[in-house]
Amino acid sequence: MNVLPDRVTTRRKFLKETLTGVVFLSVSKLVPSEALLAGELSQVPKDLGFFSPREYLIFEAVAERIIGLPSPGQPSIKDVGVASRADQFLAGADSEVQDQLHQLFTVVNAAFFTFLFDFRFSSFLNMSAPDKDSYILDWMTSKFGFRRTGFQALKRVSLSMFYTDNHSWKEIGYEGMFMPEERK
Amino acid sequence: MIVHSGEINGPVRETADVCIIGSGCGGGASAKVLAEAGKKVIVLEEGGHYTSKDFDGTEQTAYEHLYQQRAGQATDDLAVTVLQGRCVGGSSTVNWTISLRTPDFVLEAWKRDHGIQGLSSKELEPYFERVEKYLNVHTEPFENHNPNNRIILDGAKKLGFRAVAVGRNTKDCVKAGACGLGCPFDARKSVDITYIPDAVKSGATVFANFRANKIEITRTTKRVSGVVFDHQTQKPKTDFIIEAPVVIVSGSAINSPVLLLKSNLANSSGELGKNLTFHLTTAVLGVFDQIMYGAGGIPQSAMSDEFLNKNHDGGGFWLEAVPIYPTLAALALPGFGSAHRELLHQYPHIGATIILVKEIDSSGRVTVNDHGRASISYMLREKDLGYLKQGLAVAARVQFAAGAKRVMTLHARQTEFTSPAEIEPKLAASGWGMNELSLYSAHPLGTCRMGINPKRSVVDERCQTHDVKGLFVIDGSVTPTSLGVNPQITLLAIAEKSAEWIAANYADIKAR
Repeated sequence: MNVLPDRVTTRRKFLKETLTGVVFLSVSKLVPSEALLAGELSQVPKDLGFFSPREYLIFEAVAERIIGLPSPGQPSIKDVGVASRADQFLAGADSEVQDQLHQLFTVVNAAFFTFLFDFRFSSFLNMSAPDKDSYILDWMTSKFGFRRTGFQALKRVSLSMFYTDNHSWKEIGYEGMFMPEERK
Repeated sequence: MIVHSGEINGPVRETADVCIIGSGCGGGASAKVLAEAGKKVIVLEEGGHYTSKDFDGTEQTAYEHLYQQRAGQATDDLAVTVLQGRCVGGSSTVNWTISLRTPDFVLEAWKRDHGIQGLSSKELEPYFERVEKYLNVHTEPFENHNPNNRIILDGAKKLGFRAVAVGRNTKDCVKAGACGLGCPFDARKSVDITYIPDAVKSGATVFANFRANKIEITRTTKRVSGVVFDHQTQKPKTDFIIEAPVVIVSGSAINSPVLLLKSNLANSSGELGKNLTFHLTTAVLGVFDQIMYGAGGIPQSAMSDEFLNKNHDGGGFWLEAVPIYPTLAALALPGFGSAHRELLHQYPHIGATIILVKEIDSSGRVTVNDHGRASISYMLREKDLGYLKQGLAVAARVQFAAGAKRVMTLHARQTEFTSPAEIEPKLAASGWGMNELSLYSAHPLGTCRMGINPKRSVVDERCQTHDVKGLFVIDGSVTPTSLGVNPQITLLAIAEKSAEWIAANYADIKAR
């Protein structure tokens, strides 16, 4: 959707703009974050269907900020298994959607892009919690359409994986659907 | 007979009098009419076949099994979420039951602007009547409207706007609110439990989990080929070829043009895939003191059409209620993080009113991407954006009139009104670009447009493609314009009428 004819963002254009050149992407991959994440990576499930271990951590970190931290007694994203559920969900997505999300996770996290877009000197995973929120807000309200699109993609996956799970319902007062007695 | 892919052990090769691709309103109604006329009918459905026993009332099950792209289908820029069914019965299996006839002014515009004969209100009247009787379309008594629908009935009336109960295709509805998740009670008279079983009774065969990828025209017949998917894993399992002299494409305004474009058929006009309308939808969310519990009760039973075609320009908007399931609510609420989570604690107190814009200057396009799937783009233009803004303002006023203490739009950056006086200035300061306001469509239409001019349209008044005799498109893609109302009754009536004509003229259509 666009309100002005000169702001059409097709999926192809989205990719093109997002990457701002494959060269940049390849450079960003040289940023050594794996070494810093060795401990966390060892906690990532081994049998992933969609995420790479690094992407799993990126998504989990993004989802935690998008869903919001729980108050005492409320479920966390780990309680619900948001990242694992997202992995299963996305493993069945169309291949083009999968390609785009792989690229999105790279762009969201890479220090090169956090600097390019926001003059931050850290990858997303290495940011403080307030910086992460500020960074996500920048994506949500960016003047660049592709970043708002990226935010929407992350918000959809994160919230869908959390609120389709019945562990999240009590907190918001949802009682589940009325069902025939014999099927409760 | 309904054949599930689990029963298929090798390549399928079949012949039929008519092959129908898609089992929603267009395909299902066509199948019934043609099978009852004695034709050997094969229906191919990309999605699975489910019954009420499979519907557990959860969003997870419903989105995973019953919706296109697991409810994630959207324009390429993710600005408009496009909700469509993907199962036997198509969108009728998951819609919210509103059953309305095509407005007279729309049908008059089709005749005036597109030269269409035979689809006037008078000519469609017997089809509307038949469909409504078959689906038990009726309005609900006042006590059956849930608090969310009462917002419209009470709020609009207080402001002097017309608001009425609308027809619903249900019988023995228990008011659970599960319509959008597949009815566990078989109360909604959707295509999967009406037209399809009746078609099967008359000999039709429905193949579930069969995705058509190509239509070829041979010297003597038409050949539909594609892939059979494993019901559980959704991985390709084997292939199929169905040969039939008559092929009806009923894959919806999104997938019908994709199939025809991939088949290099029916596009001499260059219009195939163009003219997409969405019946563009957004919402306002009001927070009330009392419990609203928008997930329960009848989801949609009332509307206000005060502002549809009010300016006699064919455009405008109207208001309906919407079921508030947890995930839908979470995605619709603005922002993210702790503030968003806190907002969701108001969930039982939230009432939602949706604004549906009947486009007059906006449109989109469906093309085929590198993966052979639909690529959807859409351009919202000034007149419709104006109606969208007006609709938001009116809906917010209606919410306040019904007792809301504060009202939010679906802007990414939270836009909240605490009184009617704040509505206009805050809307004026809001962003309207891509992904600044959540937008939805459950009524994509128009991509195989009907018309009498082969240079400007894809199908004729019988839904037969101008280019290929015996190749029909019968679904929401044929409407020449946005309807301004929920489309199922229109599509069923057009399908029944077109299928009757095919049955009556089959010998001539078959003779090439």
